[in-house]
Amino acid sequence: MYADTQNDITRQVVRVAQLLLAYGAESELVEEISQRLGYALGLAGVEISISSNSLVLTSLVHGRCITTTRRTREHGINMTIVCELQRICLLTEKGLYGLNEVRKRVSRIEPRTYPKRYLVPMIGLSCASFCHLFGGDIAASVITFFASSIGMFVRVSIAKHHFNLLLNFAVTAFVTTLIAQLGYQFSLTDTPKLPMAASVLMLVPGFPMINSISDMVKGHLNVGISRWGHATLLTVSSVIGITIAMQLGGLFL
Amino acid sequence: MMELLLALLNDAFFSAIPAVGFAMVFNVPKRFLPYCAVAGALGHSFRTLLLHIGLPIEWATFAAAALVGLVTIGFAKRHLAPPLMYAVAAIIPMIPGTYAFNTVIALVQLTAQSEISPELTSEVISNGLKTVFILGALSVGLAMPSLLYFRTRPVI
Repeated sequence: MYADTQNDITRQVVRVAQLLLAYGAESELVEEISQRLGYALGLAGVEISISSNSLVLTSLVHGRCITTTRRTREHGINMTIVCELQRICLLTEKGLYGLNEVRKRVSRIEPRTYPKRYLVPMIGLSCASFCHLFGGDIAASVITFFASSIGMFVRVSIAKHHFNLLLNFAVTAFVTTLIAQLGYQFSLTDTPKLPMAASVLMLVPGFPMINSISDMVKGHLNVGISRWGHATLLTVSSVIGITIAMQLGGLFL
Repeated sequence: MMELLLALLNDAFFSAIPAVGFAMVFNVPKRFLPYCAVAGALGHSFRTLLLHIGLPIEWATFAAAALVGLVTIGFAKRHLAPPLMYAVAAIIPMIPGTYAFNTVIALVQLTAQSEISPELTSEVISNGLKTVFILGALSVGLAMPSLLYFRTRPVI
């Protein structure tokens, strides 16, 4: 294998690992996919070291190794891309894809998200069903629906302008709680506390938390801890939003 | 018996909706959304059944999450997709939202009144412990199949 081929393969593998990390795959999956893709493309070994915001990858073939570092940035969770990359890895392993096809498929990947008009009502319905599951009455569920729909609208609109995620969560929690406490202010429902608890559930950083614990369980302790820290920060900033809204509404002092 | 069945169906339906909603936030491809719904409904109604039998909520959550992990590995093998894609959306309905909310609100109240009151402190501690242990049970339960059966080989 010539040096430039090894360069090329290493670039593709590290690109795949970078995309996987950026769109929210767990470390074990990143390591597994990049190693399998590397072997399938003809490398003798792939070693990868992941930290919270960068990754280092070494590829080994014929006693010659190339080490390369990439900066990774969080792009929000996108399972479509993770799924696509896993498929590319499997197809390469089966011998259906060579280096050129991998390059073509990887360069064609672009993040697509669900449009706002589906996302907003769906999250409203989700939080309304949480409220129902916690034992709230119909009026409470309706309040939850409107509060979290408007909250989700705010969240998506802010995210479009690339604001800091922490700021986004604080503002969204503020708006959501402001609407959800209408049940207290006008005594519309018998269970006024439940809409407030249920409507902010859309801000629970579920994916970072699950990812962080499963990273730590599988031995990637430092990535797990940094993800845990991120999830905690997100929770704290939404709590700040909730608190300000509740104090404005005079619910506690 | 009939009542229990109705309660379980109610549970399954109303936990399938959040599973799909959050799967959309995580941008799960459209063709996999029904599977997220199935896994979410199965997990949450199984937990309700265990709670009905009288298991403590932590153990019930652990068992339900392990069931979700098992089911989603089946889906993943069929579609060649990462199992966590279905699983995280499916366990969202089991996240201890009210416990976490009560903990944080009590904590903020404790800060605001600048003296230690036993009621608020006990509320913080009991709700906080429940939150932490349920979250731990969820994610360790989810990892259970790959810790027990897929120790040395990849899932797909």
